[in-house]
Amino acid sequence: MQWELDSERPVYIQLIEQIQAGIISGVFKPGDKLPSVRDLAAEATVNPNTMQKALSELERIGLVYANRTSGRFITSDEGMIAKLKGESAKEQVIDFIERMKLIGFSPEETLALVTDIVRNGKR
Amino acid sequence: MSAILECKSLTKKFTTLTALSNVNLTLERGRIIGLLGPNGSGKTTMIKLINGLLVPTSGTILVDGKAPGTDTKKIVSYLPEKTYLPDWMKISDTIEFFHDFYPDFDSKRANEMLDRLHLDASRRMKTLSKGTKEKVQLILVMSRNADLYCLDEPIGGVDPAARDYILNTIISNYNENATVLISTHLIADIEKVLDEVVFIKDGTVTLHSSVEDIRTKEGKSVDTLFREVFKC
Amino acid sequence: MLGKLLKHEFKATARLLLPIYLVLFVLTIVDRIALSIDFRGALNVIPGFATMAYVISIVTIAVVSLVIIVLRFYKNLMTDEGYLMFTLPVKPSQLINSKLLVSMFWNLVSFLLIIASLLGVFLTRERFGLLKDGIRMVLNEMGKEFGTFNMTLLTIEFIVLVIIALINNILIIYASIAVGQLFNGHKVLGSFAAYIGISTVLQIVVTVALITLGALFHKSFEEISALPQIVFPLTIGFTIIANGLFYWGTNFIFNRKLNLE
Repeated sequence: MQWELDSERPVYIQLIEQIQAGIISGVFKPGDKLPSVRDLAAEATVNPNTMQKALSELERIGLVYANRTSGRFITSDEGMIAKLKGESAKEQVIDFIERMKLIGFSPEETLALVTDIVRNGKR
Repeated sequence: MSAILECKSLTKKFTTLTALSNVNLTLERGRIIGLLGPNGSGKTTMIKLINGLLVPTSGTILVDGKAPGTDTKKIVSYLPEKTYLPDWMKISDTIEFFHDFYPDFDSKRANEMLDRLHLDASRRMKTLSKGTKEKVQLILVMSRNADLYCLDEPIGGVDPAARDYILNTIISNYNENATVLISTHLIADIEKVLDEVVFIKDGTVTLHSSVEDIRTKEGKSVDTLFREVFKC
Repeated sequence: MLGKLLKHEFKATARLLLPIYLVLFVLTIVDRIALSIDFRGALNVIPGFATMAYVISIVTIAVVSLVIIVLRFYKNLMTDEGYLMFTLPVKPSQLINSKLLVSMFWNLVSFLLIIASLLGVFLTRERFGLLKDGIRMVLNEMGKEFGTFNMTLLTIEFIVLVIIALINNILIIYASIAVGQLFNGHKVLGSFAAYIGISTVLQIVVTVALITLGALFHKSFEEISALPQIVFPLTIGFTIIANGLFYWGTNFIFNRKLNLE
């Protein structure tokens, strides 16, 4: 998986976001075993302690679970992944509406434009 | 267990200049720590003192509670800026050499890493490019299960692909409870892998902090902070 | 750990000397054959060339043995390779010991091989007889002068002296290189200057010592039997003291004043 980290925000928060994005987009599938902390850290070129912290946080919210003997797995709870997907979609739409506001489109105008493009394809 | 590195009022003077002046610094185990400062700030002097290649003018330096000597050299794995492997040696000779002198050296791991680079162990050092020599040295140094790794400018002057290779090799091989001390002036390239940073300026330590603290408290990257602190 | 240092020091030096020993061996045989055949006419030059090649190989061995002392010590310890050697978990004194022992070994081996090879080229039955008679005569004469007790003593002292003189030569070079590396940017030049300085001081001390001793013992010096009883023991004692000083100095610099660039 492609890791893209900017340098201004705490790294572990960005790692959480990227792993979540990976789960949503299907790079990590439900029930998949995750690589070891060290391998993940090496792949993302980040500190293993930071990766550990990100994974602990994902464990806390239930997206990842640890098996004492065989490592860490992505949750098999599809409902939870669907919920995460829904949240992520919502965030992106809100974000999009905000950005449209910046270039002078009211939410209604944005909606009309979106509807138009979805119905008639982009021209 | 004592701290892996402890400096008290550490001072090193050369005939014409003071390279380190009254440094007080304690490094804990299990961290990756950046020793950051511009060229000539005292980074290499610090690392040479840790490795017993220099003797302090005053003050003390303790590695695992002991003054640098035969005992500490057993647990410190050092990558100098120099290419220090004799020209005439084959890569396999260098592995045998490390295996003979360092009980914590893992030959199997070293050979695996060489295989991954498609390097033939029967090649002589003098036939390798400078970049490849540096990779061989890094592989040897990181194949030890040391308590303290001292890497002096490991990514100075290499291309981004080689830089990623070097950082990956460090992250995937260092011993879990060991501390890795990386000296560099190229902070942006390396700050993601650091737990802590030590800023060194004109021979004195001006900051020792965790990277996370810098990002949350100052709201800026270590690189940005470094540029502010060391502005010319 | 000294054992491992010796192992790797042998490995690093054998690759230089063994090929030259092989060349000497081949040329010894070639020259022996060339000298025994009666070449006619233009072929006359063959024994000349063979002998010249042979002499060059002997000189090469002598030179390489010396170069090994200097180069192994300088290159392996004082240049970038020093970063590897001085961070090994060994004492600096063990580094010195390994270099010293291996240098001595090769110098003795080279010396013995050259003697053996010379005998191999030039020894014939009649020359062997001459040689044997000559040696017997010298031993006889010496026996008369010294008496058997002193002869044994003299022989032992002579062997000891050869060995510690060899050590002395090597340690002067080591001490010079150690002092020379203190000079930033002029390490080679510094080493040469140190060598000249140390040799000069040593000469002066020896001369002063000889004059003083001469004045003290001049009566007993008139008898040649003084050789094993006074002169050799004094020389041995003096050389051992000098060796101790050079060794200590080199070790001190390595421990306290190492100055790798």
